[in-house]
Amino acid sequence: MLERLKVAFGKELDFFLSVPAAIWQILFFGVPILLIVALSFIQFDGPFQFPRLTLVYYLSLLEWPIAKIILRSIFLAAIASICSFLIAYPFSYFLVMKIKRFKVAFLFLLILPFWTNFLLQVYGWYYILDDGGLVNQTFLYLGLISSPLHMLNNFFAVNLLMIYCYLPFMILPIYSSLEKLDKSLIEASLDLGATPLQTLFNVTIPLTKVGIKIGTVLVLVPAFGEFAIPSLMGGGKDMYVGSLVSHFFLTARNSSRGAAFTCLSVLILFAFVGLVFYTFFPKNDLMEEEE
Amino acid sequence: MRSIKLINICKKYRDENVLTDLNLTIPSGKFFALLGPSGSGKTTLLRLIGGFTEVDSGKILLGDDDITNFPINERKINTVFQNYALFPHLNVFDNVAYGLKVRKVPNDIIKQKVSRMLEAVGLQTQMFKSINELSGGQKQRVALARAIINDPEVLLLDEPLAALDLKLREKMLVELVDLQDKLQTTFIYVTHDQTEALTVADQMAIMNYDGEIEQVGTPKEIYEYPASVFVAEFVGSTNIFPGVLEINIDSKKLDVEGIGKLNVDITSEKKWAQDGVKASLSLRPEKILISKSPVAGFSNQLTGTVESIVYHGRSTEYIVKLQNGKKIQAFEQNEEHFPKEVIDYDDKVNIYWQAENAILLEK
Repeated sequence: MLERLKVAFGKELDFFLSVPAAIWQILFFGVPILLIVALSFIQFDGPFQFPRLTLVYYLSLLEWPIAKIILRSIFLAAIASICSFLIAYPFSYFLVMKIKRFKVAFLFLLILPFWTNFLLQVYGWYYILDDGGLVNQTFLYLGLISSPLHMLNNFFAVNLLMIYCYLPFMILPIYSSLEKLDKSLIEASLDLGATPLQTLFNVTIPLTKVGIKIGTVLVLVPAFGEFAIPSLMGGGKDMYVGSLVSHFFLTARNSSRGAAFTCLSVLILFAFVGLVFYTFFPKNDLMEEEE
Repeated sequence: MRSIKLINICKKYRDENVLTDLNLTIPSGKFFALLGPSGSGKTTLLRLIGGFTEVDSGKILLGDDDITNFPINERKINTVFQNYALFPHLNVFDNVAYGLKVRKVPNDIIKQKVSRMLEAVGLQTQMFKSINELSGGQKQRVALARAIINDPEVLLLDEPLAALDLKLREKMLVELVDLQDKLQTTFIYVTHDQTEALTVADQMAIMNYDGEIEQVGTPKEIYEYPASVFVAEFVGSTNIFPGVLEINIDSKKLDVEGIGKLNVDITSEKKWAQDGVKASLSLRPEKILISKSPVAGFSNQLTGTVESIVYHGRSTEYIVKLQNGKKIQAFEQNEEHFPKEVIDYDDKVNIYWQAENAILLEK
């Protein structure tokens, strides 16, 4: 089949094969993005008037409450990334280095919750965190607390769920880069007199940077725009980037302002991710260790 | 420099005994080769000495210090790994400097030492190259430099030349011997290649498939006076004649079924060699004289037909089939351009050897 196609299309086969995917991308990703960008710059004064270019919607966003929402989202994404990294790295390390059998089973258990509907997972957490939920009941029974802790509908609950949901996206790339790491390099480091801690920071972490980077992007980017978890677990008290976008488009019916905010937040996200990479991974070596 | 002593070492992997009650002393300042077939546990032994694996029981002594439970990084032992295990994210300089850096040696001393070391291994111009830019031989040198810059008491080498081509391997072998001579560090060299071991070693130990040490000695002792059939067959090639000893006052013979009685030489330390005991005779191919016409003065003679001739350049290998079907391998030096007699396929030939040039072995 492929051979015949090659004869028919010659050198242009690669190009022709990519056409369906490209059309799909252009229609359902490129065009909408362009529409959003256009929408954010165009003002319609009235039904029979010619629309004109404007920065009005962008300027209208320059106010403290909106900046606060963006900062809150950055903070949320940063916490989700940092915490999931702090959990994912030791977990993956332990799994790769210490567990001899059933590694795949452990990974499977990690992925298993995601076979259930997302809403069910979230509501499952209600039963755990509720005033009369599992945690409070246990702590009350053990006498650790005298009155229930309020763990729902606040920043804590949002962060907890963010970490819970995004953890696998951090674990899987880190696991795979640790798995690929030549273990004799760790032995060589110890052999040359490095302590286990020195080995971790001089050899293991630098050589698994690819996994850490991919994991960071996979968590940071969607966490910044996350809509469902803050709305469900935050009790609607605090706005986040995701909820504000939905507010502009669906509640306030101000699509232009929503579009401007969307563009602005994408730019901020780019800048933020760039800053994180520049700070933590100064060399541009995302693919370097992949031989 | 101190010696390494292994006392009653036991090691199991998944319920399978790799090493059982192994005892071995590795003298200090020597080039010591550990030779054995794949799966003989020689790498396991090396990993135990290096501290990468823990013993199940037994002791490892470095001089008088018991280092059995020392963590890897606190042993004054360094390793040259089989695949080099160079750090791919560091350049040549940083790889070699690694051991000094983690021990917090001042920077200017590191610079000085590393430069001198790289010069010694001929890599001063590659100092800031990435590891991936180096050839196999250069990587090998970096691995060596990275290990010996830490002044180890013992250097472990795990088949370090396995990945190199033949010419380079021969060159590196000579360099290794020179290096050991200069440093006087104890080198423990693990290999399955008997030629490598015979070339480099001052002392060597032969391990068998069961992880037991069959013999320890100099290469010459091992080759000329193997202690067992296994050693005789594993190091070099040999012809083995199994038979029963027939010893009386005026003759010592081995009765080999289908061949007859062979005169044997029994050295005094072979106390087990009594009349009626089963034994084997090991006869190295190069100790045999092969001739069509009768030659006087040899204590043993057999006849057969030439089955194959392989010309090796400096010598020719003959396979001679005896009357009972047993095949004997013999090497003859090609000393003359025009030998007095030409031996060809299917020729009837006599093979001769002196009793003292064949070794009598137990069983």
